[in-house]
Amino acid sequence: MTQEVIKKETNTLPRFAPNTDIIEREDGFHIYMDLPGVSKDDLTIDLKENELQVSARAVYPKRENVNNIHLEFGDSEYVRNFTISDIVDRQNIKATLKNGVLELFLPKAEKAKPRKIEIQAE
Amino acid sequence: MVIDFSAFYDLPRQIDRFFDEFWKPNVISQRRASYPPINITEDQANIYVTAEIPGMDIDDLEITLTDGSVVIKGNRKADNGNYYRQERPTGVFQRVINLNVPIDADKVKAKMKDGLLEIVLPKADEAKPKKISIEAE
Repeated sequence: MTQEVIKKETNTLPRFAPNTDIIEREDGFHIYMDLPGVSKDDLTIDLKENELQVSARAVYPKRENVNNIHLEFGDSEYVRNFTISDIVDRQNIKATLKNGVLELFLPKAEKAKPRKIEIQAE
Repeated sequence: MVIDFSAFYDLPRQIDRFFDEFWKPNVISQRRASYPPINITEDQANIYVTAEIPGMDIDDLEITLTDGSVVIKGNRKADNGNYYRQERPTGVFQRVINLNVPIDADKVKAKMKDGLLEIVLPKADEAKPKKISIEAE
């Protein structure tokens, strides 16, 4: 039912799951998402409890009076959902969009970061 | 006779892919067949080539115009870290676009915005349609 509603709202643009890399580093998780043609205004990031949803629309500028010779891509809609584990510090999630790539940084909560334990020699 | 549908030959996914291809709009001829995906359009004065190359600056790309074709070359580098999932294409790519029209090489322009490359190739004068006035006697 909700799927139908979403489809109506978006004028039935073809929908794709954007290519995504998820990388873990010491400071946290980095999610990189290819969103070519998406500007900041066409991007929505929702966090509900532990569900993170990224949705975007890529609508390309149209030229008047041109003939199409060969087309491999067009206007589209991108949607992707992630489930976030409890070790992520939700208050400090950062998102940056540059050159059509969205980078989400999900820092690890302090309690989940690896710690060195000092050993006291007697 | 035994037919082995092991994970290597992922039949359900193949079927899904077949239907996905089937439902794609007709105008999109071969999306994701080669990298980067390109669109080519033209009007009377120019040929426009657009390509989806997210994550790259125009300085990272090598765009060359040779006799009768445009070549887009680049290298998408992978980031370091512990990968949980890797779907974004990496490595060296090259796309050759044949132009069957003479191009005014000095006036070619390229720009990039939001991961979208646009190259404008002005047609040379001899390729533009001309009006010839015919005097009737």
